[in-house]
Amino acid sequence: MLLFIPTLIGLTVIVFTLLHIGGTTKLLAMYLSPRLTGAARAHVIAELDAKFHLNQPVYVQYFYWLIQILEGNWGITNTPLYSGPVTQAIAIFFPNTLILTIFAAIIIWLVSIPLGVHTAVNRDKPSDNAIRVASLTFYAMPWYLIGVVLIIIFAVYFRILPIAGTVNPSLVVGLSWYHNGISYPTHILLIDALLHGDFKVAWNAFLHLIMPSVTLSLGVMAALIRLMRGTMLETMDQDFVNFARAKGVPEKVVINLHAKNNALLPVVTNFGYLVAGLLGGVVVIEDVFSYPGIGMWLTSAMLNNDMGGIMGGTLLFGLILVTTSLFLDILYAKIDPRIRY
Amino acid sequence: MSAQKTAKEDKHRELKLSMEVFFSNKSAVAGLVIFLFYFFDAIILQFFPQVMPFKHPYSLTPNYVNPIPLPPSKKFPFGTTYPGVNLLTAIIKSIRLDFWLSLAVVVPGAFLGVIIGIVATYFGGLVDEVLMRITDIVFSIPYLVLAIAIGYVLGRTLDSMMIALILVWWPLYARYARSVTLEVKEITFIEAARAAGSSKMKIMFRHILPNSLPPVFVQMSLDLGTIMLTISALAFIGFLPAANLPELGYLTSLGYNYVETAPWAMIIPGMFIVLFALAVNLMGDGFRDVIDPRRRSAL
Amino acid sequence: MMENRKHDSSPIVKIENLHLHYYTRRGIYKALNGVNLEIRRGEVLGVAGESGCGKSTLGRAIMGIIPRNAAIVEGKILVDGVDYLKPLREYFKKAKKFKPTKNQDLLKKVNEEMSKIRGQKISMVFQEPMTTLNPLLTVGYQISEVLFYHNPGLLASRRLARARATKEDTKNIVKILKEEGEGERLRQYLKNRNIMGLEDQIISIWRRKELHDLKKEQMILELCCEPISSMARGYLEQIEKTNSLPKFSKLPIVGRIVKRELLKEAFKKSAEFLGLLGIPDPDKVVYMYPHELSGGQRQRIVITTAMINNPNLVILDEPTSALDVTIQAQILELVKELKEKINSTYMFISHDLSVLSEVSDRIAIMYAGQVVEVGPKSAIFNSPKHPYTQMLMEAIPTIEAHELKGIKGEVPDMRNPPKGCMFYPRCPYAMPICKEKRPPLFKVGEDHYVACYLYGGEKK
Ligand SMILES: Nc1ncnc2c1ncn2[C@@H]1O[C@H](COP(=O)(O)OP(=O)(O)O)[C@@H](O)[C@H]1O
Ligand code: SF4
Ligand SMILES: [Mg+2]
Repeated sequence: MLLFIPTLIGLTVIVFTLLHIGGTTKLLAMYLSPRLTGAARAHVIAELDAKFHLNQPVYVQYFYWLIQILEGNWGITNTPLYSGPVTQAIAIFFPNTLILTIFAAIIIWLVSIPLGVHTAVNRDKPSDNAIRVASLTFYAMPWYLIGVVLIIIFAVYFRILPIAGTVNPSLVVGLSWYHNGISYPTHILLIDALLHGDFKVAWNAFLHLIMPSVTLSLGVMAALIRLMRGTMLETMDQDFVNFARAKGVPEKVVINLHAKNNALLPVVTNFGYLVAGLLGGVVVIEDVFSYPGIGMWLTSAMLNNDMGGIMGGTLLFGLILVTTSLFLDILYAKIDPRIRY
Repeated sequence: MSAQKTAKEDKHRELKLSMEVFFSNKSAVAGLVIFLFYFFDAIILQFFPQVMPFKHPYSLTPNYVNPIPLPPSKKFPFGTTYPGVNLLTAIIKSIRLDFWLSLAVVVPGAFLGVIIGIVATYFGGLVDEVLMRITDIVFSIPYLVLAIAIGYVLGRTLDSMMIALILVWWPLYARYARSVTLEVKEITFIEAARAAGSSKMKIMFRHILPNSLPPVFVQMSLDLGTIMLTISALAFIGFLPAANLPELGYLTSLGYNYVETAPWAMIIPGMFIVLFALAVNLMGDGFRDVIDPRRRSAL
Repeated sequence: MMENRKHDSSPIVKIENLHLHYYTRRGIYKALNGVNLEIRRGEVLGVAGESGCGKSTLGRAIMGIIPRNAAIVEGKILVDGVDYLKPLREYFKKAKKFKPTKNQDLLKKVNEEMSKIRGQKISMVFQEPMTTLNPLLTVGYQISEVLFYHNPGLLASRRLARARATKEDTKNIVKILKEEGEGERLRQYLKNRNIMGLEDQIISIWRRKELHDLKKEQMILELCCEPISSMARGYLEQIEKTNSLPKFSKLPIVGRIVKRELLKEAFKKSAEFLGLLGIPDPDKVVYMYPHELSGGQRQRIVITTAMINNPNLVILDEPTSALDVTIQAQILELVKELKEKINSTYMFISHDLSVLSEVSDRIAIMYAGQVVEVGPKSAIFNSPKHPYTQMLMEAIPTIEAHELKGIKGEVPDMRNPPKGCMFYPRCPYAMPICKEKRPPLFKVGEDHYVACYLYGGEKK
């Protein structure tokens, strides 16, 4: 937990370093509207020069840049998806990504822990082998391929799930709480529709969430099942599990209380890596499903040479991951009595 | 003298047992066989391209006369993809690039990581603390996102992608090498202290490094697959602007627009990515069985 | 219970020609090769032998706690006359190729069968106290589990007794205690008032040595009038009567209340028991986690857990080997004390003969998965017969270093054990017949048996 602040500083140093690899022009690109020309442009550049103290040594510049970041001045993004302040773009795209990852995380947790336990308990049985083969296959599949296979099956062949976006556009025409692809007040269409009691739109938004979140969960799930199975097998060989058996505790309790909880500890420690994988997956999957979130914005920024989008996205993803790690540390301390802060 | 002889015999017996353990694992053997196919493909195209009947072994050959993907047929066993690219030859060419690219990321990444990990354990204390905090910081950005950012700043080319991935990957090995060396250190120092005489540095590189290498090697074999998946994901989202590059991820992205009418254009090159990742994973699991004494004896 | 134990002369455990093999990738380890042994009611049987000779395997096999790769090749273990491992043996007989998966299925059934007697009739203490306790659960909970699953009736009756007892009752009880102590009159009174559940609570307070009498009286006076919700009361009365747990999943809310009451009571009882064993601050200790305790304290907790239900048989697998010498002595004291207090049967495994000489009635010497000599302690120490036992005795030189080390030669490779006597390669008296056939146990004295051709079998 003490490492939270240094890590955050390190994160900003990385982003700042990246900005400076190509010289100050990259930084300027982030704060300079491309529509400006001539004298107006020169004027803004002079202003920025003063603001970021670009004539000073780099480490001084870092602090002025950091102040701007802390004040919420993250620069300008200019992509086909959105043009305007980076913070505004984040406000629009982040809620979509959030609901997607939350859905995926719920699916992952609900499925992979029980399956990991099941495979360990039924080691080498047909069900174990089947789940192992399946999870290894998903583990070896690029995210986008999982998405495409799902699209081919459910959208092209069965036609029961929509391919792209967050909602069927014809459903949201003329709604008072929906403008330009953005819903109000939470910017999460599913929730906004429920808030406004529009269940048709909500259902449609839900359908649009299914394939991206399942795709996202499948890749991480595979890794988590493997991890859980391994730690569970290890734990079930431990003395304290055998001692619980020697006490005559019912086998179900031995597995679910004694073995499982201890096997979960390394899983929670490693969950940070899985979240990192999950957030990486978001980038690819939002692209595959044209799902307007941070990932799609980041890709679009990359393709359109938009420094603001790249750095804003990177910083944001970093912040999410660092915060999640902090949360996981706290959780870990909660479940393991040996750790006290 | 006789002690030396028995030590040699022991080593021989251990090696034989290792082989036995690895080859008794059928899926690991299957993984090895598939891996070898990719390996030889990469070797042949890299060093003896003249053996293959390709005019341009290092680029795709588009056919703009008939750009729409064609289904698999006698002439095109895997069909074609946009723009009229013969998938079979394209895949053979792509395997070369992907294979070397993965290796070019894993080997330096592992080298860098292991050196840093060992330095951290060797000096310990503050050095260790600082180095591990640095890995923490690199880990604080999802690796795919960081790779995009670094690669973008360096200019979206194949080389910068490679550098970006190395920069993203070394902390993993640094951590891993550190944990392994710490483990080995405890055992080795006791034994070495008994043998006496040798300096700490010498122990580090004579005893600890070699003993830490096998687990790192296993991790490398597993990572070859992860790297190939990452490369293909980057290529798929359009990181590499240059067209005509024979790369499996790029091939799949060519077929993406035809997913509804020509699913093979995506599925078939995609399958070759999966096959490779699967193979190195199975193989790596097999290696892990060999080096882990506990797994080795369990049934 | 105690009464019929004395009269019943059949052994509590009878092991007949037990062969147990571990199947691994490195080969088949023949861990037990025809063990014949019985454990008699009320005795302390010491089991000694070098590390790796199969002592732990034997102990675990009696408990039925064996890994999936352990095959019961032949022979049986009768625990109170029941052959729990029968399915495993039958599977091995039938199977062309031993498969751990199949073995595991059967083990699951064995586990289910045996979980009814484990912790209740037989229990076990493992060697390594640092790993025997679950790091995520309080030690109180880990002791309570045994009570909760095997003795819920006791817990319910303890709780109900405190609800039923009135101020008047506790006053009377103190009076009786002062006049006559914890005798028949107290029992009679408790029985008449239907508060038998108070008995062990009162006694555990009354017997504490470190408390002043006034304090004790005050504590006993507090054992009354504890209110209880009428819903929980009904279920507790049912549990008291049947001594079995209801299906909690069928009673979502009441179930939780009842469960909590029982566990709370179990914590109380655990603390009382720890206090009786002279562990300081028992009320605090039960809420601690294993990592907060030292190795010796943990082993005490483990022993408490194994003993709290007054089991008929306790298997102690090197309970002192992992501890410091001073702590070893304390634990040994504890075991001796328990032996006095609780009339159980003990199987005490150790590689340290001097430890066994302190606690055992009879001693069995194991070598390479066999019992090579068994007899009364005096016979084993005064006239050891088997060449291996004789070497062991010579190898206990001083008080300090008394481990079984200084014996020439190596233990045989258990993947390819000798065809004849296991000790043949190291035996100074080896004869031709020793190489050909395994020696059976020959009687050499009163209740003293040796597996060696020096003492019989020439006629064959
Ligand atoms: N789970 C297991 N798998 C394979 N071999 C085992 C296992 N447990 C014990 N063994 C082997 O069985 C033999 C007896 O072990 P054990 O009963 O632990 O001996 P002791 O308790 O007398 O030291 C040893 O050779 C040991 O290597
Ligand atoms: S049977 Fe033979 S080899 Fe075995 S202990 Fe007796 S004399 Fe020695
Ligand atoms: Mg043992």
